[in-house]
Amino acid sequence: MAYTTFSLIANDAMKEPMFFGNPVNVARYDQQRFEVFEKLIEKQLSFFWRPEEIDVSRDRIDFMNLPDHEQHIFISNLKYQTLLDSIQGRSPNIALLPIVSLPELETWIETWSFSETIHSRSYTHILRNLFTDPDEIFADIVTNEEIQKRASDIAGYYDALIHATQFFQLHGLSQTKVDYINLHGDKEALSLRTLKKKLYLCLCSINALEAIRFYVSFACSFAFAERDLLEGNAKIIKLIARDEGLHLTSTQQILNLWADGKDDPEMAEIAIECFGEGREIFLQAAEQEKEWAKYLFKDGSMIGLNEQILCQYVEYITNQRMQAIGYEAPFAVKNNPIPWINHWLVSDNVQVAPQEAEISSYLVGQINSKVDSDDLSTFEL
Amino acid sequence: MSVKLTVNGLEYPLNTEKTLLENLEAQAIKMEFHCRTGHCGACRCQLISGQVNYRVSPLAYCRQNEVLTCCSISKKDIHITI
Repeated sequence: MAYTTFSLIANDAMKEPMFFGNPVNVARYDQQRFEVFEKLIEKQLSFFWRPEEIDVSRDRIDFMNLPDHEQHIFISNLKYQTLLDSIQGRSPNIALLPIVSLPELETWIETWSFSETIHSRSYTHILRNLFTDPDEIFADIVTNEEIQKRASDIAGYYDALIHATQFFQLHGLSQTKVDYINLHGDKEALSLRTLKKKLYLCLCSINALEAIRFYVSFACSFAFAERDLLEGNAKIIKLIARDEGLHLTSTQQILNLWADGKDDPEMAEIAIECFGEGREIFLQAAEQEKEWAKYLFKDGSMIGLNEQILCQYVEYITNQRMQAIGYEAPFAVKNNPIPWINHWLVSDNVQVAPQEAEISSYLVGQINSKVDSDDLSTFEL
Repeated sequence: MSVKLTVNGLEYPLNTEKTLLENLEAQAIKMEFHCRTGHCGACRCQLISGQVNYRVSPLAYCRQNEVLTCCSISKKDIHITI
């Protein structure tokens, strides 16, 4: 079935599944099959920010004074974050928009991915300030073996879905004239169900990225700021983390709506069928993050964070995220080994002492619409 | 009449003006949280009995027996496990 930018089928979007139904036609938001995506759009728009609003000029001095092994931790972490957002700034659009069937979900995917491009722009903002020529840092993201290892794993599920969807939209599903050759060069029988399976696994992989991988990198960024170092960077990461809270919720919503049978009944079956494979994706992500922790701290630890603590956090956050989508907690760790991180993740934490750091708490394009009925008590008609 | 918050079988007094998360923190009970505005879902816990009202409508996915502690208040006795 070919993709069309405006389907002329007069369908009822309230009866469509999230994905693989009729293509979206009228972008209307007066009715929503799943209201939560409309609310997520509103929330994400109210969070709008630009990296240039945050002054990172003091970070350069802090960075220059860091010992070599801490510079390695900081820069490697930033490179990894750059990789994650490079993927997220484009992939949800390319992978999910051609198959989405609900207007509110389509717009959410666009809004979500757009906010990831802001994150990417902010890494350039940070690096430009730290280095006269950040070219070497960016160039290393593609060649660094440690980063490459996780890049191919994250991109793999997206690429498999994109590749199969493109074949399906070009040739249909019958495969009588053209065989489907998958990304590994093997002939594969493609059906709507196998496509949906690829979508399910891709969503698991996206959720692992948004809900686990990002948070491990946040821990490193905030560990510096806990020592009053590189605070401009932490301000930016705090804004990024606030956005990521929404992104992880949206992927949890999609996975849970499928699993609970509230969307496409076939996706509910697939959720059970691919339960084990989904679990593997999360465990694999946790394992990779632990390897990454080893690489980060290869030349030494920093105050407040070392390989062991970061690995415990990987296990802790993996437990939390897997439980949120119906899995058992796979690791024994019960308590958060770095409870201080949560105070950096509060979404409306107001900065009260502007002299201590650059403020980022002022409202941009927002209004406070809370009106207490007592406020109107002196009014008379 | 004092209202009670039961957490993992232990009883605590409940402040009905404060969120469940603030109540837990007041009793020094460790509870995970991130956003504190109902959108990330980190503070999700199991509801055994009782009812909650949300200060803001939560964006995180909540099954029937789950509550988000960061943005919910309870006016009556409530039993949760974390």
